[in-house]
Amino acid sequence: MSRSLRSCRILSALLLAVATVVIVGPLLAQEGVTIGRQYGDFPVIGARGAVWIAAQVHLLFAAFVLGVPMFAIVAEAIGIFGKDARYDRLAKEFTRLLVIAYSATAIWGAVLTFFLTTLYPAFWSHLAEIFEVSMWIYVGLFFVETFTLYLYYYGWNHWKVGRAKLAHWGLGILLNIWGTAVMFIANSWLSYMMSPPEGMTADTAPGMVQFWSAFANATWMPINIHRIIANVVFGGAIVAAYSGYRFLLAKSDEERAHYDWMGYVGNLIAIGALIVLPFAGYWLGREIYEYNQQMGITMMGGFMSWLWIIQAFLIGVLFLAGNYYLWVGMGRIPGAERFTPYIKYMLLVLVIGVIVWATPHTMIADRDELAAMGGTHHPFLGVLGVMSAKNTAVNLMILTTFLSFLLYRRANIRPTVSWAKTGTLIQGGFFVLAALIVLFYGIYGYFVTAIVRIGFSVYQVLSVLIAIVAVVIIDVMLARGAESRGDIRWGQMPPRSQYALFVLVVTFTWLMGLMGFARSGIRQHWHVWEVMPDTSAWAATPALGYAAQMISVCVAVFLAMISFIFWLGGLIEKPDVVAEPPEPREPLLESHRRPIPGSDLDFQPAD
Amino acid sequence: MIATNLKIISVTLGTILFYTFLANAIPQVESEVPAALALGAGFTTEELVSAGEDLYFGAGGCTACHGTGTRAPNLETAEGSEGLIGERCEARTEGVACKEYLHESLVDPNGYLVEGYQPIMPDMSRTLSDAQIWALVAYMESLGGEVSVVAADIEEAASASAASTGAGAPAAVTASATMEPLELLREHQCLLCHMLGDEGGPIGPPLTGIGAEQDAESIRHAILQPNADTTAGYEAVAGTMPATFGQQLTAAQLEAMVQYLATQR
Repeated sequence: MSRSLRSCRILSALLLAVATVVIVGPLLAQEGVTIGRQYGDFPVIGARGAVWIAAQVHLLFAAFVLGVPMFAIVAEAIGIFGKDARYDRLAKEFTRLLVIAYSATAIWGAVLTFFLTTLYPAFWSHLAEIFEVSMWIYVGLFFVETFTLYLYYYGWNHWKVGRAKLAHWGLGILLNIWGTAVMFIANSWLSYMMSPPEGMTADTAPGMVQFWSAFANATWMPINIHRIIANVVFGGAIVAAYSGYRFLLAKSDEERAHYDWMGYVGNLIAIGALIVLPFAGYWLGREIYEYNQQMGITMMGGFMSWLWIIQAFLIGVLFLAGNYYLWVGMGRIPGAERFTPYIKYMLLVLVIGVIVWATPHTMIADRDELAAMGGTHHPFLGVLGVMSAKNTAVNLMILTTFLSFLLYRRANIRPTVSWAKTGTLIQGGFFVLAALIVLFYGIYGYFVTAIVRIGFSVYQVLSVLIAIVAVVIIDVMLARGAESRGDIRWGQMPPRSQYALFVLVVTFTWLMGLMGFARSGIRQHWHVWEVMPDTSAWAATPALGYAAQMISVCVAVFLAMISFIFWLGGLIEKPDVVAEPPEPREPLLESHRRPIPGSDLDFQPAD
Repeated sequence: MIATNLKIISVTLGTILFYTFLANAIPQVESEVPAALALGAGFTTEELVSAGEDLYFGAGGCTACHGTGTRAPNLETAEGSEGLIGERCEARTEGVACKEYLHESLVDPNGYLVEGYQPIMPDMSRTLSDAQIWALVAYMESLGGEVSVVAADIEEAASASAASTGAGAPAAVTASATMEPLELLREHQCLLCHMLGDEGGPIGPPLTGIGAEQDAESIRHAILQPNADTTAGYEAVAGTMPATFGQQLTAAQLEAMVQYLATQR
């Protein structure tokens, strides 16, 4: 496929999306325009199903095209400042896929907009009347983001040394800024639906609503932060799965080594960011409670209470699969065998943690179920299902996962600093102390009131975070001048390890669909919470079983399309692979121009 | 290559199907839409209680707190030795009948906060109709007590609601012929939110001294298009003032009100 053809296709998709937003939205939003009907209908799956699929698949693509640029600029920076050309190549390889995925994102965005305007015209009119200005800005930023992406990708080989390389990296940063701004604007629309300005009622005309109070609503910033981190996780997981696929189909040891390394980096980023994600989720949950207690209770203790059991199970799978990949990966690291005996204990902690975390507690129950349990809580499981136990379990799981990373990192090095033994003991001390603090507050939580108990989770989280930061700092200092126990044998991974990466990406994607249902579903039968009721035939919020089927359809559609994009990316341009090790150390900031080993020379401009 | 691709597809689809199965294997709870309560002219107490019970366990969402955990009093079991809610409601507040107490608890929940609980109960009148609220009251009375809700309660609530809201318009739309500015301010409920002298509420910006800060034109603009600008410090209530005074006031009444406020220095 030629570049001009590709660009035309992308531009067409963009124009379609832009035309939709610019022309249809404000037309409907104009005061005095009569909406002939409240709702449209869609064959077989209904209006709600159609919007659900369009919104979810669009969001998954959007998460990918926002997450990967973050990944790309970090990788490019490591390439520049760490003088490691592998990372530069990695960044470019994914930006290439980004260019194709971008058009899919725009197409699904257009589909969503058309569905909203035709199936929910009154609601869309309401939204557009309040947010029309931000919709125009959104469109403008969309253009800017697109052309920044073109410059960033097509200029890769042109601006690859010296100051030009730094300027190119700056383009990557700009791309992230535009993308984040676009996401922030879209987030304001959906968060407004959850948390419209306080005091707004069903009688308040949309034209009377202050733009900024609707835009910067109570849940806007928590959702922004939560999505930024989640996008990084998602980007890392997709990168890892892509690498796994390439690894399994690799035809040479060099190729296998390259994709093994790439999979490791993707998994590291995904699991690393995942560790931080619960804290952002906790903030979002707290803001929901503060905005409206009823909404918070519906989310955690109402008809959605079972959803969190499924969520706990999925996150348990993520922790187990992520750790499994690391443990198997230690087989290719000389010296790692000394840590092998500890793996079974870490597995035990993780399994127990998942079991406790996934234990139901405050479930919505009818009278028969209450009678069968002999009270509002299960006589045995009720004790494990409380937040004291769950917080303790999840914090210990995070500590264990971090320990896996640490052992992986330390596996093939022998510290040479004089204080190496003391340093390792201090690191161990941090682990033990953090675990004791987590356990102490977990047990103490059973003896205090709920309001005091909630505060304990802060101490537990802080102790884990402090331990992680302190241990990392010590470890970086310990590794200075350390001797190698042997080079990592990249590519010597059993194929089963790569299937763990597929399980990870499917689970991440499914989890995003589940959390999307949770966020949207807590509005129940309201388009805009307590302001605009949903009076359509699809107003009831479905049970988790039906939601799971919809989520699975969305996940399958997304994964099928992203696989096609990856395949297409392979057709367009086969990345060159250099033998590893030794690791290439190309000085990207040198003033003289030299081709980067493994870079895509077919795009090398004539100069 | 084909075998590897098939393996990858199998793992991917298998994982998706497993999660779908898992989510379908747990208890299925749907969030229903509160159905409009259609009670015939001669409805019986049993019908009312039954409608209330449906709401209580369904669309009303009551059991999310009342019945599980320790968020709110359990209404279906005895709290201490006081009995079920239908038994204990009469004694909750001296001089207040059971049904009034329960009704107030639903529409002004923080008025009767039970000791030891957080003020988390929402105002149910935002999501349920008057008839639905009375049906809930009847159901709660039936839990250990006598149902005292009668048709007149529902009819009275419905007629009061119709009188205050008209055809979906904001409250207090009935315009009188008075030209007295202060009377107009009271009649149109401006002083529910704005302070003027010792009178009024603190929700919106005070009108005391407004003439020193704004000229007549600005005041007129603020009445007709109240949400075009937000006074600093009142962002939290932005967008809440009705913009319907242009239709409710005659031109002369509006002018009388504007000139009066412009002299408040």
